[in-house]
Amino acid sequence: MFSTGFKYFMGMTVLSVAALIMTLFVFDQVALAGVALSMLIVAVALLAGIAVVTRDGYRQSGVTEQSTDLVSQSIWPLVTGIGVVFLALGLVISSLVFFVGIVILLAALAEWMVQSWSERASKDANYNASARKRLLNPIEFPVLAALGLGIVIFSFSRIMLTVDKSVGAVLFIVAGALVLIAGTLFAIKPNMRRSLGAAVCVLGALGIVAGGVVSAVSGEREDLELAAAEGHFTHKECGPEESEYFDKLKEETLSLRSSVSATIIYQDGELIANLQGLDKPQKSITVSRSSATNIIFRNATEGEFRLVVDLGKPKTENDDSHNDVDCTQLVETGGEQSLTLNIAKSSSAENHYKLFIAGAEDKQIEVVVP
Amino acid sequence: MNHSAKHLYLKRLVTSVLRMVGKKSQTLFGVSLLSFIAASCATNAPQDTWQPKGPNAKLIDDLQQPVFAVAGVIGLIVAVAVIYSVLKYKDRGQPIPEQTHGKPALEITLTIIPALILAVVAVFTFGAIFKLAKTDDTEMIINVTGQQWWWEYDYPVQNEFGITQPIISSGQLVMPVGTKVLLRETSRDVIHSYWIPALNGKRDAVPGRIQTLRLEADKPGIFAGQCTEFCGLSHANMRMEAVALSKADFAKWVANQQAAYVAPEKDSLAQQGEAVFLNQCVRCHQVNGLMRADGTPAIAAPDENVWAGAAPNLTHLMSRNTFAGASFDLLSKQCRDEVWNASSDTIGAKYLAGVSQDCLNQKDLRSWLRNAPEMKPMYANPTQLEATGGKYRGMPYLALSEDDISKLVAYLLTLK
Ligand code: HEC
Ligand SMILES: [Cu+2]
Repeated sequence: MFSTGFKYFMGMTVLSVAALIMTLFVFDQVALAGVALSMLIVAVALLAGIAVVTRDGYRQSGVTEQSTDLVSQSIWPLVTGIGVVFLALGLVISSLVFFVGIVILLAALAEWMVQSWSERASKDANYNASARKRLLNPIEFPVLAALGLGIVIFSFSRIMLTVDKSVGAVLFIVAGALVLIAGTLFAIKPNMRRSLGAAVCVLGALGIVAGGVVSAVSGEREDLELAAAEGHFTHKECGPEESEYFDKLKEETLSLRSSVSATIIYQDGELIANLQGLDKPQKSITVSRSSATNIIFRNATEGEFRLVVDLGKPKTENDDSHNDVDCTQLVETGGEQSLTLNIAKSSSAENHYKLFIAGAEDKQIEVVVP
Repeated sequence: MNHSAKHLYLKRLVTSVLRMVGKKSQTLFGVSLLSFIAASCATNAPQDTWQPKGPNAKLIDDLQQPVFAVAGVIGLIVAVAVIYSVLKYKDRGQPIPEQTHGKPALEITLTIIPALILAVVAVFTFGAIFKLAKTDDTEMIINVTGQQWWWEYDYPVQNEFGITQPIISSGQLVMPVGTKVLLRETSRDVIHSYWIPALNGKRDAVPGRIQTLRLEADKPGIFAGQCTEFCGLSHANMRMEAVALSKADFAKWVANQQAAYVAPEKDSLAQQGEAVFLNQCVRCHQVNGLMRADGTPAIAAPDENVWAGAAPNLTHLMSRNTFAGASFDLLSKQCRDEVWNASSDTIGAKYLAGVSQDCLNQKDLRSWLRNAPEMKPMYANPTQLEATGGKYRGMPYLALSEDDISKLVAYLLTLK
């Protein structure tokens, strides 16, 4: 019948033909890939032909020496197949799937090669098995551990996104406590059965993964969904409030707070500016042009207010470097928020910039850009 | 080791060092050693850290003098001890001396003494650091913005100093004497560092942050400094000067900086220069009050042309003595020397005179307008600006005719 070599090269030919067809369908520009694949097809088809003519170079046909040991079952052909499927799907669906396919394929091929090598390493099956382990365990263990941990952590994060904020806190406490208890138990009773420990861990991990799946299916908690739908930080309303959620989210970025140029305070019906370095409250702030300048808005008045900066109209034709307005979100009484100004054009008699309180436009601070 | 052996030894040491250095570089070595020694006692050293001219720099000096003395003495002791042991225990085939180990009393003493010295130094250092960081006694603030490769100063409205509208300048920082000035530093591109050795230590100017630096000058004078954080191609040409004026002179300076724009006389060369300026320069340089031919104000758009988003404001260019990051003089050598060497009583008047037609350093200003990147290395080759999206870092070559340059110089001379 067909020799091993022929089967191998024929399979490769078929695969390359399939790849060529797929390439023609999927990609717009196939010049290079098309040529490469065509040449590959010709080459492997030729090798297949040679293999069948020379019967793989064996002079006597028929009887080949059989090794005495039974070769163990192998999972790697199956995994390789899965890898190929991913690879093909990836070409159509996404490069991520393609990439996963490559990883699976490479891993499976490496395992397969080492396995078949180790099974012929010596006559002693035990020794062969240990040789395989020696070679592969240092890679297998860390990779599998990272994968396993990754899945557990990812599942846990899904759970946290779904449950209520306070429940999340409780979950964290419980998880920490469990780890502590388990650790303590192992420490006190070092000769506890290993399999028991393993079982507990596996069960726990499975529970978390199951919880993660359930959570992922049921979706994130309401406020997060709402915030995502409202565009979170990307959109700001500087007029009357329309959104339900995002406006309550404060940008409490520590780095901004640590280096502010001015603090704008709304107090006793007045808007005043405290410049870093000057103790006296000011009615104007100076912002050097084209320079990111952080200010803080502090609301010291009853009620929720936002600070708006009026950046005027863009001043030259092809300048669309800034919006006409920018603003903080609503700030509750006693609250603070930062706002970063970056104004390109100098202010002048015709070109004013100002800060004001939304809804109380007469409360103003002039922004001077020299 | 007897005396002659010692002598011989030193001779050998010196020759072997010289041999190591190599014949050719021997002279170089000698010369650099000499110039190093000479430099430490130069008289014309405007950036000498050992000559404080204000209370903040004095504070640092008072700290570093005793520390330097203590460190010097310790350094000397250590050096002598090392040289002594090297000479004494040199391998001459003698038997290895007795090895001792573990003298707790000695070891503890030798740990405690340096620790004590460092502790004393630390106490005074921290004290100085906190004093230098104080901002609550500030009398005047000036914003300082660094960019490749020049400094911009702007003075927020401060009525008590007569500053009723913001003032903007570059290169030379003008400040009143005997006044606690607080610089609020930031940067438009990379990190720079502001340093006027005669007035205080260094402070980095970091994009997105405001960092403060106290300055105070005892007497009127000009104090040189330079950027001390490597900031790219022309870092070495990023210089600056602080000009301290008496309070009365400072008030005059402020009044002049706020004076309204005076358009050049009709049909003068300067008026033609204004037209060239509107064509060629206003896309980067602001001159406050300058109007376009159609009567609209000419507003510069450096953000569209320069990577940092700013170019020097030239409204009162001729009130300064330097240009292009204080690396060139606007005044001719003779006039410049007169200002630099003036006594503290007369320097104010001389500085306030600004740049007159006679005193102008025509050569450098004309070269600058002819081809700025040739005067000062800058990223101004229009074919190599991919990294900055087509924007220049610095002032580009503008292919002006000599005629246009003459007109421009005449116009710039009116910007007092
Ligand atoms: C593409 C923008 C651009 C254009 C156009 C331009 N400059 Fe400049 N100019 C600069 C920049 C940036 C600097 C600062 C360079 C430095 O010091 O590193 C500068 C510096 C100067 C200085 C020194 C100012 C100071 O205070 O240090 C003068 C004077 C000057 N330019 C004059 C002109 C004139 C006159 C024109 C028109 C012919 C002109 N420039 C056109 C960008 C420009
Ligand atoms: Cu610099």
